[in-house]
Formats: sequence, structure tokens, C-alpha cells
Amino acid sequence: MGGPMGRPKWGGPSEETHVTVFTDRRARLLQEMAGEGIDVLLLYGNAWQNDYLRYATDFGILEGQALAVVREDGITLYLDHALEADRATLECSGIEVVHAPDLLGEVDKALSRLSNRRIGTAPARLIPRRLAARAKDLNLGDRTAFLDRLLMGKLASEVDAIRRACKVADEGYAVFRDAARPGRADYELIAEAEAFFRSKGVDDNFQIIGVGGPEVRGMAPPSGKRLKAGDMVTTELTPCVDGYYAQICRTLVVGEPNAEQRQAFALYREAMEAGIAAVRDGVTAADIARAENDIFRREGLGIYVTDEYTRVRGHGVGLFADTKPHILEDVTTRIDEGMTLIVHPNTYHPVVGYLVLGDVVAVTKTGCEVFTETARELFSMPA
Amino acid sequence: MRRGLMGWNAEELPRAALDARIARLRVAMQRNGFDAALFYTNLVQPSAVTWLTGFTPYWSDGMLLLPREGAPVFATALSKRVANWIRTTDTLSEIVNTPKPGVAVGKRIAEAGCKRVGVLEYDALPAGLYDEIAGAARHVELADLGSVFADTRRVIDDAERGLIGRADALARGALDQIDADKATDAGEVAGLVEKQARLGGAEEAYIAIAADLDSDLRMIRVAGTLPLAGRFAVRASVAYKGAWVRRTRSFAHDEAARRAYADADAWLARVASSIEPGQSLAAQLQARLKELPDAMLRNATAESCIGSYPLTAAIGAPSAGSFLVLAVELSLNGLPWLGAAPAFIDAR
Repeated sequence: MGGPMGRPKWGGPSEETHVTVFTDRRARLLQEMAGEGIDVLLLYGNAWQNDYLRYATDFGILEGQALAVVREDGITLYLDHALEADRATLECSGIEVVHAPDLLGEVDKALSRLSNRRIGTAPARLIPRRLAARAKDLNLGDRTAFLDRLLMGKLASEVDAIRRACKVADEGYAVFRDAARPGRADYELIAEAEAFFRSKGVDDNFQIIGVGGPEVRGMAPPSGKRLKAGDMVTTELTPCVDGYYAQICRTLVVGEPNAEQRQAFALYREAMEAGIAAVRDGVTAADIARAENDIFRREGLGIYVTDEYTRVRGHGVGLFADTKPHILEDVTTRIDEGMTLIVHPNTYHPVVGYLVLGDVVAVTKTGCEVFTETARELFSMPA
Repeated sequence: MRRGLMGWNAEELPRAALDARIARLRVAMQRNGFDAALFYTNLVQPSAVTWLTGFTPYWSDGMLLLPREGAPVFATALSKRVANWIRTTDTLSEIVNTPKPGVAVGKRIAEAGCKRVGVLEYDALPAGLYDEIAGAARHVELADLGSVFADTRRVIDDAERGLIGRADALARGALDQIDADKATDAGEVAGLVEKQARLGGAEEAYIAIAADLDSDLRMIRVAGTLPLAGRFAVRASVAYKGAWVRRTRSFAHDEAARRAYADADAWLARVASSIEPGQSLAAQLQARLKELPDAMLRNATAESCIGSYPLTAAIGAPSAGSFLVLAVELSLNGLPWLGAAPAFIDAR
């Protein structure tokens, strides 16, 4: 049942390249740990926040919680859920998998055996209290920023993985769009997209949706709302391919868009394109956000780019659906070549309601390469 | 990440049911000297907060404070804009949107003069939240609430029974879509089962497959193309409005195995509907095995929901009024078979 390096042949889009990405990533992690003087890393993960754990183990956890102990001579993945431990033994290559019903006890014991070693933790805020309380005894130190740097600055093979994920996101949006018909419930559209994703090797997806008009202030999980003529349907669709999430944000109208909807969409498109035009090596996240927001301010809509109406103007994409850096005017993180971002001026519009549009880009020395290929248009589906 | 149907429905989960749960827990808290209780929630550990309020986060995390009196307080880093959505699934809590949920609940318990506060799964509480709570409530003793909560939570009410029943109907309906004769690819089967569950309104569906039962009984979450062998098994873990079940079925192309699997399915259904409370589950399964000639019990596990996890390994004999998921591995005259089904443990 084993594929390359013992991984099962699950036949996704990229079995061999998947192994390459993981091998590259692990080699980089060990090299960077040595450079930073970190002997051991303790990484936490669950199905919500799994990027730190996945970086080192390549395991996409679904149920329960996991901790990984990363040493130069090997990686041990501790999982408290029996079914997940079973799955990890099949899906993870080259790491030791331990089913640990007493997760904290087992890891505590393992760390205690590593006395006098410098142990870094990430993400420190999610490390279980019982272990964090022993920071002094165990020589634990917060190394979240160290991992964040690795998560943000992608290797070439990681950028390629995100490019592949973007292609699946484009295809998934086409499936979602085709499923949008009057009378269908919002969750049925997502069901169609999910079935498509399973056939394409996508093992996770983050997706929220909005259906309606000016009363819609944001997107959320489906609530059972049924589509009707004139509704705008917004979605943020984020399939995970080989561990990497790529996002696409698009809006469609059930029936022909009206003049206000077209006019509003044109503004969002201009804002997104202004944001993308600002992306290049050396700028800050704030520069990109400002470029997007200035378009809204120019039209007297500045209030709608504040946190009263919107969250972020984009964010990193990678092993987490909403990774750093967040694109906001108060985030001064430097944008470097090799980062991958989504630029999305998603926010509420006072005339037509919540509207979204977003493309994924990879940062280059002089600008960026846009990975999203779906047309930047306000789609219309037959009413 | 949750992306299925989420929402509160008064007919499925009456406010009176939530009030009754909270009242029961408050009695237990008082009996054990707790002035308040704290519950951490995220999409992996949602179940305690879902049970108390109906709310499950689709993203991010939060902390529920249950004081001895008055409305629960739900503090979350989810933005203010998401408060309206939270309100559609949690109609009873006060919602506090704050970048530091731990500080918010810590201040509340300190200002209320609490001396001892129970924390569900205290050891596992995220360190960042713990630091916030401890910093804002320096003179409050925090202690684990686990056994107090589990004893209260273990007995399920009619509302929960209804939600579990609906989740199970979705899982069964989804698995019914599999035609063993036509199924050749595990990825297609996984997509079909998940789609059916989600079309029926599942909040979540995790589909796992053992593609060749004769060589490996372990299951993977298949995506993409993977050929199915002559005998395979599919597990559907399905949630409906926060209630989770698992169903596993084995499938075969050959007629002899198919008949044996049908007998085993019927046996599991009978066993699941007649588990005796207070008696060892392993002993009960062994005793019932005589109903299935030539069967050998290879392994059996039970899961229940008594903490923050939707389903977690159950320890000890099943108790009256509880719910569990029973998973069994049999050898049927040499044929490997896997099955799992939910079971309500009724008082005899």
C-alpha cells in the first residue's frame, strides 16, 4: 500500500511533487533550526490551526490534537485520537507516529528526556497549559516568529504547489457557479464543490458564503438560505492541495446584474487591481492595503474599509487558509519575493451588499505573478 | 474547516432543553464548590459549548463563561461583524468580541468575586488563553471541571437524541449511495458519500476508506484516484447541528462475502440496539458473537461525547441514558469485516 517513501498511493494530482515539497521543507526546517541554535521544536496542531505542525510532519489532522517533537535525528508525531493515529501511520512518511491517548503525559515524558536542549515552541499561544507551565524546567522558548518566517517565505516547490492549488480553486469555482440555481439551498452549492474537490485530491477546504442583497453584511457558513432571482452569491473558496490552501473570491448574480451591482463590482475590481499592482519585493503589507483602500476612499466609501465592515484586505496563503501577513494598513510586515498572497478588497457596499473579489499572487522581485485564472467578472447565472 | 449547514432551530433544539442542561450543570457545579465554569471551544473541540448553547465555531476559537446565575458569556476573537452570525446559532449567551477573550472572561470572574472556577480540560487549555485568564483573575483558583462535566453530560436528552438521529440518517443515506458492483475508485466513492451527506444538510462529513480490506484494515481520507479492491470499507463521520455519529460499512464484489457482510451488518444493528448498561461492552460483544456463526472478534472500540471532543474513546461500562458509537472488527470465517454504528443505551 506504500507509495514513494511509504506514503500510500492516493493518486492525487501530484504524488511525486508532493513528496518533493515535503522533503524540501523538512530539509530547510532542520537547516534553519541549526542556524538559529534550536535543538528541538515542539509544534502544536489541530484541524483549525495546523500549519506549524504540517510544516514538519506533512499530516493533515482532522480530529483531536497533535504535538510533534522535531529533532535533528527524527520527528515524532503524537496524536491523541486513535483513528487519526491509524491514518497518520499510512499517510506520513519518514516520521514516527505515536498514538497517545494521554497526549500531554506522553509528550511531557518525551521532553523530559531531552534535558539541557534548547526547545522552541510554536505556535506558543496554543501549546497546552500543562506543558507551557514547565517552560523553565524543560527549557522551552517561544519560537513562533521563527516558524512564521518559514511559513511566509516559500520555497520554489511550495510556490509550485500553490500554483497547482490555484488551478483546482479555479475549477472548483466553476463547479460552484454551475451549481447556483434559483431554489437551491446555499449548502447544496458547497456540497457540489466538495464532491468535485474529493475527486481532485483536495483533502480540505475553507469556504464561506453570502446570499442576498444589501442586507448581507458578510459571509458565513451556509444557513439554508435558498437562492432567488436578483440575489448576489459571494463565496471565498479555499481548497487544500498537498497541504497548501489557495483561495479564490468571486461574486455572481442570479439573473442579470443590475446597474448598481455592475457599478459596485467595477469599483472592487479596480481596488483589487490597484492592490495587485502594488505587490512587489520590498513593499509592506500596508502599502498593498492602502492601494486597495484608496480606491474606496476616492469614491467616498472610506468607512467601508474600516473594521466595522471588513476584516482584512487580503492575507498570505500557504499551509493555513488565512496565514500571515494580513494585508492591513497597520501591518508593516515586509513583502518578500517568494511570498504568496491573496489580494481581496472584500467588504460591504451600502447599495448592493457584501461583495467579494480576490486573486492569488506570488511575489517577484519586480512585481508579482497572478495564479488565479478565473475571469475578473461579476458572473451571471440564469434565473 | 466547517462549511456545511449551520444554524439554530427552536424545534430541533428548544431553548428549554438548553436551560435544563445549564440548570443541571449548575447544580453539579454548586455541589462541587465551583463558582463558575469555563469552556474553551474551537472547531475541533466544540462539543461542550455546543451542548450548552447550540453554538459551534466554523473558524477561530473562544471561551464560554457559565456563571452560577445569569446568561453565559461567550468571548471570542472573531470580529464584531461575525457577532450576528454567532447570534443565529447561540440565542442565549452574551457575546463579547475581543482580541483577548481570556482577559474578558478573567475580568468577569474576578469582578464577580469567584473564588474557585472550573475549567473543562484545564491541562490542555491553550497557554495563551490561560495566561490571559490568570493575569486578569490573579486571586481565583482554577481547577479541572472534567469529571463534574462528564457526569452531567453523559445522559442525553430528547433534543440531542433527535439531532443524533438526524446525523445518523444522513450517514446511512450517504452510505446507501454506494453500489459495490459499480464502485471501482475510492476517490469517487468518497466524493459521492460526502456530497450526499452535505446535500442532506450535514454540518460536516469526514469520509475514510480502507480500499483493500484483505491487505490493510486501516482507513485513509481518500482524495483523488485510488483503485478499490474486491472488498473495501467506508467510514462516514457525519455531524448535524453539532451532533456526531460514525457509520462504517464493508462492501464486497463477490456474492459469498456480500452475504456474510449482510449478516454481520444485521448482527451489529441488533447488538447496537440492545446494549445493556452497567456491563462490560467487550463481554457483551463476545456473548452476542454466538449469533454469528464462524465469526471471530478482532477488535472493538466505543466512543462517546463527554467533553469538548465530538467523539472520543469511551472508558468503562456504558451507562444508562448515554450514547456511544460502537466500532467492531470481525473475521467472518477468514473474511475481514469492519462495522460501526451509533447506539443509545437505554435503561433496562
